[in-house]
Amino acid sequence: MKKITEEKLPELYSHISQNHDLFVPIDQDDSVNFSLWKDGANVNFDVLKTNTSPKKYIFPQCETFFNFKSEGKKLTIERIKSEEKPYVVFGVRPCDAKSFRLLDNVFLSEPMDRLYEEKRNRGIIVSMGCNEPEDTCFCNSFSILPNSIQEGVDVFTLKLGNKIFWEAISENGVELTNKLSDLLDDVTEGDLKEIEIAKSQVNEKVKELPFSNIDPNEINRDLNELFQSKIWDEISKSCIGCGSCTFVCPTCHCYDIQDYDGNKSGERYRCWDSCMYSEFTLMAHGNPRTTQKERFRQRFMHKLVYYPNNFDEYACVGCGRCVGKCPVNMNITKVIRKLGGENQ
Amino acid sequence: MEEMISKMKKIAYEDLSTKKVDRVIGFGKGDFIYEANPIFISNLEEVDLLVWDLFCVNNLSKYLINELKNYQKIGIFLKGCDSLGFNQLVKDNKVDPDNVIVYGVPCEGMIDPNKLSKKNLLKDLRYLRRVDEKLIIVTKQGEKELIAKDYEYDKCLKCKHPNPVVYSELLESNTLRNSILTDDFEEVDRIEDMNSEERYEYWSEQFSKCIRCYACRNICPVCSCDKCIFDNLDIGVSGKAKVDSEDQFFHIVRAYHVAGRCVDCGECSRVCPESIAIDKLNRKIIKDITEIYGEYDAGLNPSKSSVLVNYKLEDFDPFETSKGGK
Amino acid sequence: MSCGCNDHIDPLIPQIAVVKSIRSDTNDVSTFRVEKPEGGKCFDFKPGQCAMVSVPPIGEAIFSITSSPTETEFMEFSIKRCGKVTEFLHNLEVDTEIGVRGPYGNNFPVNEELIGKDLLFIAGGIGLAPLRSVINYVMDNRKDYGKVDIVYGARTSGDLVHRNEIFANWPAGMNTNVHLTVDREEEGWEGNVGFVPNYVKDLKFDTNKVALVCGPPIMIKYVLLGLEELGFKKDQVYTTLELKMKCGIGKCGRCNIGDKYVCKDGPVFRCDEIQQLPDEY
Repeated sequence: MKKITEEKLPELYSHISQNHDLFVPIDQDDSVNFSLWKDGANVNFDVLKTNTSPKKYIFPQCETFFNFKSEGKKLTIERIKSEEKPYVVFGVRPCDAKSFRLLDNVFLSEPMDRLYEEKRNRGIIVSMGCNEPEDTCFCNSFSILPNSIQEGVDVFTLKLGNKIFWEAISENGVELTNKLSDLLDDVTEGDLKEIEIAKSQVNEKVKELPFSNIDPNEINRDLNELFQSKIWDEISKSCIGCGSCTFVCPTCHCYDIQDYDGNKSGERYRCWDSCMYSEFTLMAHGNPRTTQKERFRQRFMHKLVYYPNNFDEYACVGCGRCVGKCPVNMNITKVIRKLGGENQ
Repeated sequence: MEEMISKMKKIAYEDLSTKKVDRVIGFGKGDFIYEANPIFISNLEEVDLLVWDLFCVNNLSKYLINELKNYQKIGIFLKGCDSLGFNQLVKDNKVDPDNVIVYGVPCEGMIDPNKLSKKNLLKDLRYLRRVDEKLIIVTKQGEKELIAKDYEYDKCLKCKHPNPVVYSELLESNTLRNSILTDDFEEVDRIEDMNSEERYEYWSEQFSKCIRCYACRNICPVCSCDKCIFDNLDIGVSGKAKVDSEDQFFHIVRAYHVAGRCVDCGECSRVCPESIAIDKLNRKIIKDITEIYGEYDAGLNPSKSSVLVNYKLEDFDPFETSKGGK
Repeated sequence: MSCGCNDHIDPLIPQIAVVKSIRSDTNDVSTFRVEKPEGGKCFDFKPGQCAMVSVPPIGEAIFSITSSPTETEFMEFSIKRCGKVTEFLHNLEVDTEIGVRGPYGNNFPVNEELIGKDLLFIAGGIGLAPLRSVINYVMDNRKDYGKVDIVYGARTSGDLVHRNEIFANWPAGMNTNVHLTVDREEEGWEGNVGFVPNYVKDLKFDTNKVALVCGPPIMIKYVLLGLEELGFKKDQVYTTLELKMKCGIGKCGRCNIGDKYVCKDGPVFRCDEIQQLPDEY
């Protein structure tokens, strides 16, 4: 394990930036989002929840994947050449890191999604543990501890005071760490003790959080019984059918494929979509989900029943972004509770 | 607050039990002290869930459109800003006022949890109460006295109608607030003072943050089209491509579509997950309308004709002033 | 198409195909024959599988492949005009290039459960498209299957598709009966008059066979009830489901019914499987 002081971080950023695109949580206009680091950027590691999740680096909101051209009867399709520059996302919280693994289940299962795979392979994930979980955090309900090293992260870091501890996890992580060796110091016995204390403290803190008694495992996962439950009428009433929960969610993966029409030539792109939208399942001959109740049910059944049936894990990491962003304060914690997912 | 809550429960209970209404839309407590949610009540047992506190910020009026499809007569708690939305829904023929009983609730201004959070006051918040212009909060660290204004929602800071402008019953309160008469369009003026490049840059940056979640549109009491053009796949403007021009197009079209009908309730900006200054665009249009047609507050007086849908010969015609050429 | 990084296939990139012929079946259904530009079939598939047909810049839509896998040189799609992509296809000229990707989804178990069985095909309107692939496959491997009955109906005789096969090829097949019906009386029509579900009941099929049903949802619903009345068990009946699809590979998340994706786990479902699904299709 290594460490670096906060004052030396800009040096570290600029070093990483030499060979990588570096994405860090940047405070701009009072809101913190992962963005490309540039000299002088206002990096903020104090805010746990960036507005949108870092999933945009592996699954962008919109990406063009081929250009086409039609001349007379001839059609040519040219795949967009993938970007080759490697990137580093620094500051991925354990919940978000877990969400990458959940997206892997979908996109890397056969037939593999090549757009996703390319981005996944190019990226180095530098995760950062949390010391001060917020009221809206409930990662623990999905067995994610705020200081856990999630599968698939390359480096794990922890910020205590003005010290950032740095631990290479994967081969890529070791390689990156080696390149930064001039900037990183060795840790002392005292440091290790400090980390130990911080870890046990945060594990105690999560037990005191308002959502700590939420436990999706308590839900009786009988698909048809839950599907037909009367509660959906009641809890979907206030839903206004916007997509803010979907678009801030690190695990939502639904997308649309559309063509940009530039007359004879154009682009095909894929972009995020939301099951909360009325046209999501609209077909020429009708729509199987006619009201917001059905769309609302779909989103939560997917996260709590359908996805787990297929992959044996819940499609929620308890990051709590939707809790903070829903215009009417309806969110997955309320749904889980209504479905019986609560420890007494 | 406690007094208001018992008034609310009393009237809801009475009207539901006498079948004067078969549904009540109000606020219920959320999971946190700083959270209140819309609730829908048909059973008398649920009346006890009603609350009124400093976080009842949602404009409930738009729920009437859907709820009236299933219920005959609805009682609804509306604040001043919400009541403007209600009037506009009536004017837009989206809600039949005969089927609604409005319980008017005077409002002192709602508190923005994000502002508390920025000052690290949200965590361990145990109690909070407003006394006139003071906000008294109790956290683990003890009691603190704050200036309420510093923590009100932006939209409440320029509230012109703290008291309902329309109601069947007014739930009177001894904390009636006067409208805040600050310089109405200060923020708009600041943008108008920019030169055209700066202004373009300002709006480009704002709209580039848009994630097309449609929270602004869906919360808006006057965005009440049965099918929005941006949901119509056949038109090709669904704008999922996340390019600046399409996001700008969406916001500008929406601003123009609500022009003259926007009641300035500020819900669009409140719900925007990326904090886009949507309301400033609407306020610019309100300012222009005020300058061109005189003082007009959409939703204030439903019998007054709408400025943008009524033409008078003597109306100012801005297109007249520059007749071709340089 | 190779994605450029390795020799991987990118499932979202269509390959170029040429529309070699367009046969008008009815006034709103045409059958498109598609080949690789250099000739030959674009890819192998099994009866019941689907393909994404791409007509940039209009978009993509998924269709069942109506030709039999035993055709080595081409694939066919029978397409009803009902939306933007299909409208565009109907206006195409022969020899125009389009994009095709697939095959997607599962298939009718022609080499498993159906082997050696008597088969009852029931189709309505354009619903014959996916079944035609199976029927022709069965015809080409006739000795592997028992008696074949085909019940096919449409609104009018003018709406019956694949006329060559329903009037000539299939009735001439060994141990094969074709039962045609139209919804209403019409001049010159000598076949049965009435809805498909009623006709199936009238024909009083014995239950020692497997039924494959395709057509509009309302027809499927009543045919299944009719088959039940005749004594068919749910595990003897196969049908196909259709929902909005975009990716075709079970990732874009819009064609799910419960935890199943129609594009990946369907479109062919046995009726006892459908019974397990939530009612949202």
